[in-house]
Amino acid sequence: MRNKKLGLAAGVVVAIAALIASATQATAATFQVRLYVSADTNVEKLYLNELIPAFEAANRNYKVDLSSFDLHGKNDALTLAKIIAASKTNKDPGVDVIDAGFNTQLGLSGYLTIPSASRVPNLNNVPQSLIDMGKGAVPYRASTVLLAYNPKVVATPPKTLDDLITWIKANPGRFTYNVPSGGGSGYAFAQTVADKFLTDAERKTLVNEVNKPLQAKWKDGFALLRSLNPYTYGKNGTYPSNNAATLALVANGSVDMATVWSDQFASGLKAGTIPSYWKVAQISNPALTGGPSFLGIPKTSRNAIAAQRFINWVLSPAGQNIIVGGSLNGYPVVPITLLSAANQDKFAVGTDVSTLRPGYLSSNATDFKNAWALEVPGK
Amino acid sequence: MSTATTNQVAKESFGSKDSKLSVLGFFMALPPILVLGTFIGLPIGLAFFLSLGYTGGLNEVISIIGQDVRARDGKLFTLQAYQDVIKDPRFLGDLRTTLLVSLFATILVLFFSIGIGLIQRLRGGKLSSLLTALSLTPLFIPVVISAWALYTFYGGAGLYQTLLKSFGFDVPQITSTVVAIVIGSVWTSLPFAILMITSGFQSIPNALIEAAQDAGAGIVTIIRTVMLPLAFIPIVIVATFTSIGVMGSFTIPFFLGPNQPTMFGVEITNFFTAYNRPQQSIVMAFIVFLAASGIAVMYIWANFRSAKESGRV
Repeated sequence: MRNKKLGLAAGVVVAIAALIASATQATAATFQVRLYVSADTNVEKLYLNELIPAFEAANRNYKVDLSSFDLHGKNDALTLAKIIAASKTNKDPGVDVIDAGFNTQLGLSGYLTIPSASRVPNLNNVPQSLIDMGKGAVPYRASTVLLAYNPKVVATPPKTLDDLITWIKANPGRFTYNVPSGGGSGYAFAQTVADKFLTDAERKTLVNEVNKPLQAKWKDGFALLRSLNPYTYGKNGTYPSNNAATLALVANGSVDMATVWSDQFASGLKAGTIPSYWKVAQISNPALTGGPSFLGIPKTSRNAIAAQRFINWVLSPAGQNIIVGGSLNGYPVVPITLLSAANQDKFAVGTDVSTLRPGYLSSNATDFKNAWALEVPGK
Repeated sequence: MSTATTNQVAKESFGSKDSKLSVLGFFMALPPILVLGTFIGLPIGLAFFLSLGYTGGLNEVISIIGQDVRARDGKLFTLQAYQDVIKDPRFLGDLRTTLLVSLFATILVLFFSIGIGLIQRLRGGKLSSLLTALSLTPLFIPVVISAWALYTFYGGAGLYQTLLKSFGFDVPQITSTVVAIVIGSVWTSLPFAILMITSGFQSIPNALIEAAQDAGAGIVTIIRTVMLPLAFIPIVIVATFTSIGVMGSFTIPFFLGPNQPTMFGVEITNFFTAYNRPQQSIVMAFIVFLAASGIAVMYIWANFRSAKESGRV
């Protein structure tokens, strides 16, 4: 009898406990967004310390999980394989939002969910030209490569690419750019030199489609780059391995000029790793490349709706203000007038990210990196 | 006839006991064999078939993503990918760099480790303990850290150049050259070599050295005819392990080496990720594997010799 009562009481307790547990679970009924980021540490910080906390604070039921971060995109090929394999077999790829360079490639092959205007209304603020570049991936921030220079040595920076090349040859060992396959800042310089010998139409073709025959026209550009071997840092035709290595040479005064990412330079100045007196400038004829970074939702993602809500929030003024004003110092993809007053001041009047000169389509870019390694270093 | 039968019987009884044991041994070895087969053998097999142009089945996805993938197109196999790699102007330079760096690093490692081993065995004292302790330091420093340290030390703004420059010597930059890779490889390979070779020298009985001395042999003769032959096996092990290790290294040549030509460890990574040419990177991996196998044969021969000497074979 006593035992029965005890059993009953225990049962009730267990039932109540289960109820409470399920209730707390229900209030925290979270929509999960699994984020995959393949980038440098500054982008990881942007998500972990700034975007994700702010998004979760504004959207109580949502949880963003950045457990898959791939530094410098070392495993891009593997991840790409995994996502394509999952799409082909109609399985969940394990990620809902991708921030990686291969987004446009996924989009081009039709492996991305095209976000709907009703779920991502903030897309209305993004220039159509940027949206078109994404092939289904959503542009969410931009950055460009600039020419960093030491004003104590270089009073007036070169205005055009030709001027820059003249300066490099006049000041042996004082300029550097990193290996194109190691980072975008060096890649931008190499592509810009190659683009010098292409027409506008040819450049546009290489940005938008795979075109092997046109790649033969890089020849003159590579010859010019090769002729710089005795004049760049080290004077022996070797180049820093990545963006960070270039910035290290800037920081310790080994060079007076280098091509750098706008956001990494700004963050470096803020953090004090780059001497405060260093400045950046853009060149023209042609300009150094830049452009948007994209977020993509894999076609077979389990949480595509939550993913679109996250993307919509990133495109909102709140999200864009964090990208511009936070530790990343990025460019927005929405009109600057939508930003906070303090952030608007960071840009010159009339700055328009949709006019940044874009880099090649990823498979052309890969071929370009391969060809550069074949034609330029150590020759 | 009768002897033959008895022989056969004896053989059979011996054989059955042996086969029972070998079956047991087989099952005991089965778990590691299965793990190796599934997680290492299968991927290697897949990669091998991809290198021969088998782009379907489990290789389908990587063939879709990869650029310049050569398919066999209905033939039994194609060596087109191997031709692509060998025809590539980078290949010869990379091969030469990889082999030369492995060779020089191994020679230097042997030279230093035998030297320190001899000092410790013949002379002893504080100097030898200090040398051994110092040479073991790299064992406790991760390769990435030491590569970066060497890069800053020998780099344009590093101590090496600035110090010599302040004395008026304008020395060329060492980083981004093959010399830097050799220095880095010696640094990372030395501790293991020293441990191996000092223990080899320590195991030589004093009596042998003293006997040679009593017979009037000089120090050089003792080293040449007594010590080196007795420490032959550890020396071969050090030589093979160092050269195979250096041949496949990535971190040191990546940080310290030139962009081009570079070592295969770096080039394979470049082809696999940056240039998105998985098939060609696999072809290179098989070429490195062949070279390393050649060295491994030496190692097996040395082990076999030592087993023979001690009567195990």
